[in-house]
Amino acid sequence: MQRPAPAKFELLVRRDDDSDFELRQVPSVVGYLNSRPRRVDEGSYEISELRSRLTVAPAFILKNKTTERFLLLSEQERFLWDQMDGATALQEIATAYVLKYGEFDFEIIPSLLRKLQRAQLLTFEPRSRLRAVLARNRGRVLVKALELALTALERIRISSHNVQTFFQGLYRYGGFLLFTPVAMIACVVLAAAGAGAAHILFRDVRDMLEGFGGHALRGILTVKLLFFASVALHQFVHGLACTHYRRRVREFGFTFLHGFVPTFYTDVTDIFMASRRARFVTAATGALVHLVLGAVAFIVAAKAPAGSFTQAFAAASGIIQWQALVVALYPFCFIEMDGYHILVDALGVPTLKHDAIAYAKSLLTGAGRLGEGREELLWIGYVVLSTVSVAAFIAFNVWIIVSATH
Amino acid sequence: MQASAETLAFLRDVRVFEAFSDSDLTVLIERLRARELRRHQLLFREGDGGDEMFIVRRGTILISKAVTGKVEQVLVRVEPFDFFGEMSLFDGSPRSATAQAETDVELLILGRDSLQAMTETAPHAAAKFFYAMVQVFMERLRRSTLQVAEATRWGLEATGLDVESR
Repeated sequence: MQRPAPAKFELLVRRDDDSDFELRQVPSVVGYLNSRPRRVDEGSYEISELRSRLTVAPAFILKNKTTERFLLLSEQERFLWDQMDGATALQEIATAYVLKYGEFDFEIIPSLLRKLQRAQLLTFEPRSRLRAVLARNRGRVLVKALELALTALERIRISSHNVQTFFQGLYRYGGFLLFTPVAMIACVVLAAAGAGAAHILFRDVRDMLEGFGGHALRGILTVKLLFFASVALHQFVHGLACTHYRRRVREFGFTFLHGFVPTFYTDVTDIFMASRRARFVTAATGALVHLVLGAVAFIVAAKAPAGSFTQAFAAASGIIQWQALVVALYPFCFIEMDGYHILVDALGVPTLKHDAIAYAKSLLTGAGRLGEGREELLWIGYVVLSTVSVAAFIAFNVWIIVSATH
Repeated sequence: MQASAETLAFLRDVRVFEAFSDSDLTVLIERLRARELRRHQLLFREGDGGDEMFIVRRGTILISKAVTGKVEQVLVRVEPFDFFGEMSLFDGSPRSATAQAETDVELLILGRDSLQAMTETAPHAAAKFFYAMVQVFMERLRRSTLQVAEATRWGLEATGLDVESR
């Protein structure tokens, strides 16, 4: 019998002033991918490794302590079970699975979900805990206003799914040059020249930023806004890299991440079908945009008359571009940027941040014990390095602003 | 409204008037009013009072029902030759759903007074109208049942709930 097409709701969403509306199709599959399965409370189940001299592949026995039901899990299923914490969406779990095992047999996920539901080992959580809390307290005026603001911002999404032809054209008419040895050498030379210029400029930050006159803070904020444009360029290069490896760019757009972080994005998930080297290049090259722009800005600043507006503006741009480079490529900052994805891909631990934070939390609350295994060391290393790095990053920015204003 | 050959031809294809003779239709046209809506213009809201039914002559009307906040579920698209709003025509109850234009729309409006007058002056035509209307109601009831089943299917698919093997 032919399987029916997925059920679909058509929703009409009004604008805030009620003057207009838009229509949205919501297929059931979207709801499914955004659902967040959550295993039952820790005290309600037991899991142990099944040791056998005959079988080579490890297996696990999962027991529901309430219903006394037992399930046999493979290593892959055990991995998926560990992801089902109520905070991770099915789509993210599937991505983690591909990164860990390099397999695309996603049928394992629904079949495990069915197995777990039958054994009453699973519940489902709403998509966002913040949104769930806001919805519960909607009666309060402030909460209602916050919810409306988040909804309005989340609704702002400008995107195109038909970008593959555009990126192919961009690649054909010059974009390919970015992926040649000449471009790599030019990048290194520029970086060295930029670093040299920055070194000279940083001998006296105060002199350098004097060009802003008495409005250093306002000047830096303007530079930050201009920097925003370079984020779009960063995403373009991700798309070009994806095209370079003959994979498809699925989407390009602008949205407010989590409802309040304005950002451009490129969907290059098709690169997972390519080699690890391709994934590395795609992730890293976007960030190199900031290296090049920052280097150029520092060189311009070094050549500009001392104390001029041009020097101050270019130097501030250089600082922000290179900060963006660090944030994008440095994996230890609790943010899942390009560098983080490269690291977890190389280590084969797609859920590093999630596991490390959970482990640190368990140590702090006394629920967990300090272990000496490779994984525990990795988790502790990640949390310590990230905490120190974030503190250093904040301190550096405070120092820049204080130096510029006093 | 002035009877024109074009309107007459249009009404012959509207289901509830299919059994009307040309003379019945000519009388009916005189009792109809015309109205135009711009794209996305609201016609009436759920809860509004009303005693008219609308026949779509051109364009598409969306009928929606509030779900949460500013989100409404689209129940049906009303295309040319089809009609909506007939529930309030009969019982004068508040509108059960919201109607708005999806495209630029041209409507013909039949009010309760006109229906009343038609019942008195042309009872034979009115009887045909009511008979056709009962058939349409039954079809819409069947469609609502299907929509309930479809909503349940959406929920089952979205949660991946395995009911069959429980």
